Amino acid sequence: MSAAFELRGLTAAVPGEKAAIRLVEDVSLHVHAGETLAVVGESGSGKTVTFTSALGLLPKPGRVIAGQALLEGVDLLTLGPEALRRMRGARIGMVFQDPLTGLNPVFRVGAQIAEVLRAHLPLSRQAARDRAVELLARVQIPDPARRVDDYPHQFSGGMRQRVLTAMAIALGPRVLIADEPTTALDVTVQAQVLDLLGDLRDADGMAMVLITHDLGVVARQADRVAVMYAGRVVETGTVAEVFAAPRHPYTIALFRSIPDIEAPPGTQLAPIAGSPPEPARRPAGCAFAPRCFAASEAAGCHATRPPLTGTGHAAACHRQGALEIAA
Amino acid sequence: MSALLDVRDLRKTFGGGQTLFGAPRPEVRAVDGISFTLARGETLGLVGETGSGKSTLGRLVLRLIEPSAGQVRFEDTDVTAASTRALRAMRPRMQMVFQDPYGSIDPRMTAGAIIAEPMTAHGVGRAEAAGRAARLLAQVGLSPAMAARYPHEFSGGQRQRIGIARAIALDPSLVVLDEPVSALDVSVQAQILNLLAEIQARSGVAFLFIAHDLGVVRHVSDRVAVMYLGRVVEMAPRDALYGAPLHPYTVSLLAAVPRPDPLKERNRPRIRPIGEIGSAASLPTGCRFHPRCPRARLVAARGGDTVEAEGTRLPSACVRQDPLLAPAGGAAHLAACHFPHED
Amino acid sequence: MSATFEDIDAAAEAATRRRATLRRYARHPGFMIGAAGILLLLLVAILAPWIAPHSPTQTDLMNTLAPASSTYWLGTDQFGRCVASRLIHGAQVSLLVGFFVVLISLSAGTIIGAVAGYAGGWLERALVAVIDILLAFPSFLLALALVAARGNTLDSIILAVAIAYTPRVAAVMRSVVLTIRPRPFIEASRAIGLTPWTIVLRHVIPNALPPVIVVATVSAATAILAEAGLSFLGLGVQPPTPTWGNVIAEGQTAITTNPLISLSAGLCIAFTVVVLNLLGDGLRDTLDPQMRRNTGKLL
Repeated sequence: MSAAFELRGLTAAVPGEKAAIRLVEDVSLHVHAGETLAVVGESGSGKTVTFTSALGLLPKPGRVIAGQALLEGVDLLTLGPEALRRMRGARIGMVFQDPLTGLNPVFRVGAQIAEVLRAHLPLSRQAARDRAVELLARVQIPDPARRVDDYPHQFSGGMRQRVLTAMAIALGPRVLIADEPTTALDVTVQAQVLDLLGDLRDADGMAMVLITHDLGVVARQADRVAVMYAGRVVETGTVAEVFAAPRHPYTIALFRSIPDIEAPPGTQLAPIAGSPPEPARRPAGCAFAPRCFAASEAAGCHATRPPLTGTGHAAACHRQGALEIAA
Repeated sequence: MSALLDVRDLRKTFGGGQTLFGAPRPEVRAVDGISFTLARGETLGLVGETGSGKSTLGRLVLRLIEPSAGQVRFEDTDVTAASTRALRAMRPRMQMVFQDPYGSIDPRMTAGAIIAEPMTAHGVGRAEAAGRAARLLAQVGLSPAMAARYPHEFSGGQRQRIGIARAIALDPSLVVLDEPVSALDVSVQAQILNLLAEIQARSGVAFLFIAHDLGVVRHVSDRVAVMYLGRVVEMAPRDALYGAPLHPYTVSLLAAVPRPDPLKERNRPRIRPIGEIGSAASLPTGCRFHPRCPRARLVAARGGDTVEAEGTRLPSACVRQDPLLAPAGGAAHLAACHFPHED
Repeated sequence: MSATFEDIDAAAEAATRRRATLRRYARHPGFMIGAAGILLLLLVAILAPWIAPHSPTQTDLMNTLAPASSTYWLGTDQFGRCVASRLIHGAQVSLLVGFFVVLISLSAGTIIGAVAGYAGGWLERALVAVIDILLAFPSFLLALALVAARGNTLDSIILAVAIAYTPRVAAVMRSVVLTIRPRPFIEASRAIGLTPWTIVLRHVIPNALPPVIVVATVSAATAILAEAGLSFLGLGVQPPTPTWGNVIAEGQTAITTNPLISLSAGLCIAFTVVVLNLLGDGLRDTLDPQMRRNTGKLL
């Protein structure tokens, strides 16, 4: 089965003083229809840049210098701006983190949804409005026929995120990319929005990419996961595999540093020392080596970049299987 | 021994009155009658969603905003009645760490100057303050040589360390921490949490730890208070609250936290409160949580005295009577619910 | 602690920082051109008696309205005075006016604006009312009134222009302070027990200054223009004292035959305005710790 959306060796960079600074490097990912891929990473890990570059939305002077972004077999990076615009929205939908800035405060929400529809489809004003009401009902907004004429400020944060989701699925995209869709929301509302995204995916058989920093959200929502660090995918596999037996020291350390609400009392947190490197200052070898509990000179951690190895469950680490990591 | 901090029936109302043209302005009861005590060296975690009033409460305790009613006693002095001068003299003993590590330190001052400022403001000589600032930098895990750097040269976690060094510079007995790690990456959060624990173990400072992340609060707190629309709805020792929550709001909060364990996540029943937190400008009658409460609906379904509300039938007590925060499990386990032992 | 912290040597770091500061100034072309231009103007003004080829007031009635020559570099005016010498001496008045106007309006406007913006309440409303009234009052009229009351002296003109510019600085300052007041570090300053005055002086003003400095340097430029305008109308410094405004005014009668007189004085003013603006922008950039980084590296 071919993937609904696939990145192959995607590399994006901005010009630097001496050489180009690579924001993301050699990122390969794929997601099938009806499946959720979670992309996990900290700020600066490149998880958002990966997808903005793939969709041609990377702000200047950044640009993609290598790789492919295949949407049902079509490489988005070879398309012209107009063809790409038609793909976005129609074939590939996006939901962003901040439900406040995603909506224009001076237009009614119904008009904003209708605008998306009419930009891609030959619909009358009335037909577009009717579709907008249907879409609001699909994202479980109570009393959609009345709320369609409300302004964004009349909606709560969770409701705005539902409206944005309605806009993203308006044209029945095959792929939905959700970038931290629940980070700005409270925990009870977050659960509601995640439930909704899961239901929509199942109903339409969409492929979903969920960009997040929250491993709890990954465990709840995703089928497969890709962990990113310093612009690269360092570990990927099914959620069950990666959570049961993480292979990359970064993933392992991440699990140890989360304060879990059900951990036994008195559990010590084991933080990762230091902070992630800026894109311009990534070390020559493995980017995680300076913070890694298992890094060693003998294995070449500080000298060469480890490739992503393994079939299915893969990790980019020189010390895979070493004693410290297995423990 | 009396408590370090004793908060009694604290209230803060914003707005109210009339607009220029005589229309009534909605009154927002951000903090609506909260009482608690905090012992020396203790950590009280304060959890709540956006709009629960938790940040307002933290600022009221330090009188960074003026309370509308109620009293705050700190080290046996009435903070709410203190003069401006007396209040300023108390500041060294009660400090604050802010949420935003990027905004809460002056971008035009060096790290050394930022940490030295509370000391010079309270009469420590410049040279001595600079020396102590260098030692504080080392204490919070930064190099003293970084004193000459500006905030933008530090990462988020490092800036939060500077904010913490500033707060502990005058050896306070109380620090209010307002979401101190919520802006930080997961791997950095743990560093800061461990640093705070280390500081508390060494100096015996008490923390009022405000956060929305239940995992973080559980990790740091001795006792936990859960806020909803300006009120504390449940307050208990940590393990009692997380192990046997009594208020339905606490129950649904805990159920909503996604846990990094796919097996548990897949098999867990979905207990969700209905809708979203209301507005403190138009509070529901009776129990503030009744419009969203799953338990009230279950209790009503079993019969008893019910009324029509929120498009369904709810127990009349929930709709009509404001529940008080009262001992419900052990003596230290307080909950404001008419049916604390139902589920 | 991570290994990167340990190899920092405090003394070496301080030295690197000093070098970086110098480099930052040196690398900002606008700042360098502006500073060089101002330095040139200052030298000309100070050394005027020595570098001017003639006395600025000495008339040579045999050579009125002479064209440019090796004796009279820019020709002579209708009284036969050397235009070049008058411009060189005129630089003194112009720079004096610019300097004092900025000094007065920047310090008064900064304090008034910062207090209004930070204090809020009735104090803010009262100060804003004063600022608005002064802003609405035509500054030329104000200058006229002051000159009428105190006479055509240089300090009347400086005072008049300074009063006209103070509310502009104050208005900009207040609006910038309003954006700074809600920032968390101001609340943090209150939490550590600083007095309101300390907060205004140490935290509010330094963070609000960059845009105000730009306004101030622009107002230095316009102050020089205003003095020229007043002198042009005969309300400024009285002839025969040379100022650039006087030179333009006197050149006006011969503008069709000898345009060089007014034109050269106008170019002097334009040059000063340009270098002051460059200096202002340069100062704004180099005073900002964040911009310091941006000049150092991309991203």
